[in-house]
Amino acid sequence: MRKRTSSGLEKTDRLTFSIYLALVAIGWTMVLSVGYEPDIWQRFFSAPIGKQTIWIGISLATFFAVFGIQSRFWMRAAYPIYGLAVSLLIAVLLVGTTIKGSKSWFVLGGVSFQPSELAKFGTALAMAAYLSRFKTKVSVPGDALLALAILGIPMLLILLQPDAGSALVFLAFLLVLYRSGLNPAWYAFGFFTLGALLAGLIWENTPLIASVLLFAGILLLAYQQARRRQALWATGIMGAGGAAIYWVAPQYLNEILLATGVLFGLLALLMYRQNKLRLGLLVALVAGWGIGVAALSQYLFNQALKPHQQDRINVWLHPERCSEQGSLYNLLQSQTAIGSGGLTGKGIFEGTMTKLKHVPEQSTDFIFCTVGEEHGFIGSTIVICLYLLLLIRITILAERQRAAFSRYYAYGIAGILFIHFFINIGMTMGLVPIIGIPLPFLSKGGSSLLGFTIMLAVLLKLDSKRLQLA
Amino acid sequence: MADNSSGRKTYIRLLFGLAALVLWGQAMRLQLLDPSYGKRAEATTIEQITLYPARGNVLDRHGNLLVYNQRMYDLLAVYNRIDPEMDTARFCRFLGISRQTFEENLKKDWTEPRFSKSVPFVFLSKIPDSIYTRFSEVQYQFPGFYAQLRHVRGYPHPHGAHVLGAIREVNQQEIDSFPEYSLGDYIGDGGLEQAYEEHLRGRKGVRFVLKDNLGRETGEFKERKKQHPELGSRLQTSLSLELQAYAESLMQNKIGSIVAIEPATGEVLAMASAPDYDPNELAISRNRAEAYRRLQSDPGKPFFDRSVMAQYPPGSLFKPLLALIGLQLEAFSPEMGVSCSQGYVYNGQLLTGCHAHPYCGNVVTAIQHSCNAYFVTVFRRIVDRHGFRNPAQGLDELYTYLDKFGLNRRLSRDFPSEESGYVPSSSFFDRWYKDERWNSIWIRSLGIGQGELLMTNLQMANAAAMIANRGYYYRPHLVTQLNQSKWFDEEPVEVGIDSVHFEFVIEGMERAVWGGTARMAFVPDIRVCGKTGTAENPHGKDHSIFFGFAPRENPKIAVAVYVENAGFGGTFAAPIASLVMEKWIRLSWKDLGVVPPEQHLDGDIHPSRKWIEKRMREANLLDLP
Repeated sequence: MRKRTSSGLEKTDRLTFSIYLALVAIGWTMVLSVGYEPDIWQRFFSAPIGKQTIWIGISLATFFAVFGIQSRFWMRAAYPIYGLAVSLLIAVLLVGTTIKGSKSWFVLGGVSFQPSELAKFGTALAMAAYLSRFKTKVSVPGDALLALAILGIPMLLILLQPDAGSALVFLAFLLVLYRSGLNPAWYAFGFFTLGALLAGLIWENTPLIASVLLFAGILLLAYQQARRRQALWATGIMGAGGAAIYWVAPQYLNEILLATGVLFGLLALLMYRQNKLRLGLLVALVAGWGIGVAALSQYLFNQALKPHQQDRINVWLHPERCSEQGSLYNLLQSQTAIGSGGLTGKGIFEGTMTKLKHVPEQSTDFIFCTVGEEHGFIGSTIVICLYLLLLIRITILAERQRAAFSRYYAYGIAGILFIHFFINIGMTMGLVPIIGIPLPFLSKGGSSLLGFTIMLAVLLKLDSKRLQLA
Repeated sequence: MADNSSGRKTYIRLLFGLAALVLWGQAMRLQLLDPSYGKRAEATTIEQITLYPARGNVLDRHGNLLVYNQRMYDLLAVYNRIDPEMDTARFCRFLGISRQTFEENLKKDWTEPRFSKSVPFVFLSKIPDSIYTRFSEVQYQFPGFYAQLRHVRGYPHPHGAHVLGAIREVNQQEIDSFPEYSLGDYIGDGGLEQAYEEHLRGRKGVRFVLKDNLGRETGEFKERKKQHPELGSRLQTSLSLELQAYAESLMQNKIGSIVAIEPATGEVLAMASAPDYDPNELAISRNRAEAYRRLQSDPGKPFFDRSVMAQYPPGSLFKPLLALIGLQLEAFSPEMGVSCSQGYVYNGQLLTGCHAHPYCGNVVTAIQHSCNAYFVTVFRRIVDRHGFRNPAQGLDELYTYLDKFGLNRRLSRDFPSEESGYVPSSSFFDRWYKDERWNSIWIRSLGIGQGELLMTNLQMANAAAMIANRGYYYRPHLVTQLNQSKWFDEEPVEVGIDSVHFEFVIEGMERAVWGGTARMAFVPDIRVCGKTGTAENPHGKDHSIFFGFAPRENPKIAVAVYVENAGFGGTFAAPIASLVMEKWIRLSWKDLGVVPPEQHLDGDIHPSRKWIEKRMREANLLDLP
């Protein structure tokens, strides 16, 4: 009972579209500012800003074109698009062009295209299609594994290019899986593992991490005791004592570890006596896994990572080991540019750091530096708030969908946008390692803008037809 | 499928909110809480470019240029900007360097923090103007190379090296102690360059430019104004280039010095120390270090300025000074006669020898013949004025006068390496003789200028000027004007001797020239007064000494000459000093035009003395043992 209506533009979510337009406008201004010179208007179309303007035009046209496509098309085309993306990812490994060390580009007649952009969109569609199938149950291990495979295959192919940044984006679909009901214990386990890995890399002191983990285990077991209060007090005092000894005389760390281990063993034995062996074993296993990961982290760091990757981790976790002129240079310049903006910024076109090319990739991956430098804390706040608003709005759109496909697709887009947003802005300020992924809608670059526009347009199209879809 | 997990939307939103909060917090930390980023942003993008000033010129008393500025260039390079395809051979040819030098100068340790491939470093320093002019025409073909103008010193005449001093690059210690200096700056080293450093150096200017990350200039930074460099002050000195050159010519192949002062003003007219060197050798150039090392290790010690650094016993030059003090203290009468039989005899013992000369029946003849016996007697009279058992009081009275004469002190700020000489006081002898009671006999050789008493040649010339002025002197100085405004503005120093006493001493000094120890100093038309000295030298031949002034009335010049290992004072020091005096007086006669040409002789030496001039110039005393 489809009505022959117009494309449905009038039912577009106006807020989302406004935020989109605002971000694109801010991006355009920033790209203009980076390359600004008084005579820029005379040679507008040969300057980067001219190209960006053309791309914005193309993107807006595409947006409306997408609205002309029936919403059900995306549901039907989900798997074919995904299949096409995966084949292109395979093809690019064979016949692609290598740019900056990654074989991730097709270059045809002056137009370059990154299949990983298509893969993000295709995976979002395929994931939504798979999870919205009536018989899919992520609580069933087989289905969960298949869902993981949908995101894992393109991720793996992109890692082979190698383009770790783009591959990382596919972790966004874990958010969709979470929303679809995947056991949260897996997420807890994942975060715990990541934490142990980072702890190992940051402190590089396995006995210390082991002591802390074992102590956490002891606290957990003490919590299970009948006389909980006394047990917690006793362990708390012992923990404080151990910490104090370590503070004063760190050379006794091994003795502290031994004592903690013995205590942990005694408690686990007690659990056995109390017939709570399963819990005791679980705690011991988790603690052991954490200790193992932390202990292995250094080995993995040295063996599995290439020097430039090690550099990035070091810039992030151990900036004191890096030379300000060397690997730390980009981050320092970027932080300096943002920091120098102060509260109100230096004003548009007045940024010295970004304009003078002190910041690398200043109009693509590091566009946020220009925001921070020229518009200060106020500008940063506005941009961060716009993204947060967009993300929250998308979750609201997602939740109001009657069709599971639309909902999961929306969460997929939210996840992709979220990872780009957090990692990109985080890396310019030194919160996460420097990973070369663009800031959606703001960064200069046509294919990125076009890709995100299509993703958003499909979402808004689906939303505008939410009452017709089920 | 059924949606059992819709509650999870809250956690997802929480995750989004938390992440945004973390980013927002970090933005707050960078932009609001930590002020260091703003400062660093300025440091990395706005570069200060130092604009080096030219130092002040140095002129002689007639306006002849003694020291001027030469343009020289430092070639800076930014490694990342250099074209790897550049025509290296052509580049090297234009700069006159070898391929090897080119490669060595470009090879820096890039891992060191002070070098960066994006930051300019000095590729080649001290490029002479002539070479740079040639190179500048093709410089556009070699991107990545920039020239920086420096001003270094040039000397049109090879004279006055000791007086003028030199400039060199500041050392780390100076950079640490004085905030106005930074790496690569030049600083005065010795002579006027050092003494007048703060006036000569001018003020550095600065220009603020915006730089991009490759160190490329992208424009002027408008908020900080450019400061133009300020030229250093021009130094007008009292030296006479002509007299200086003449004095140096007389001292060639000798060791020693000449100091000539205008008594009426205290202005130093010439100051020569031998052996010397051409000041251009120490001018900033790529060969300076080598020249410096060579001069440093020269056995003749050319860096040792014998006018102000050497401390000599004055020998018989001390006698006129002693006579003046004795007369002022009424320790003896000018009519006192002392018989001298080959020396000073005490209790039948000959204690201090003397040469053969006629009987000295008064102080005039005693000075004329430089009688040792006479002046040991005068010395003892002065020291024993308060009793033989109380020599300390007498000696310290003598000391007070010598102090007023300018001994035992540095005379002028214009000579940074000047030494003070030494006059022993009673406490010196108390220490020297420990518990013993010393007396005037023991220290009698002070009376004839031997022993512990030491003077610089500048002090001797100053003493001659003081006698010429009959009782006062202006502190000897070199700089008369700074930037055309009067600089030396001091009252004369009165020495506390009544002018009547001078006539005896001056008469004796003129007679020494007429028919005494200094006959070689006789000059037709000019009444020269002088006194020779011969300082005993335990290490070799005696030092030849002379001081004097001319003419006797309205003296125009006072001179002291010290020639090491040249023997008797009359043989070298006296004729050299008289030539300097004659030269100066005839030159000034010529300039003033008050005397007929047969007297001023175009500033030349009298024909009857040409042979002396020739002999003095040609004498080579360096080969003597």
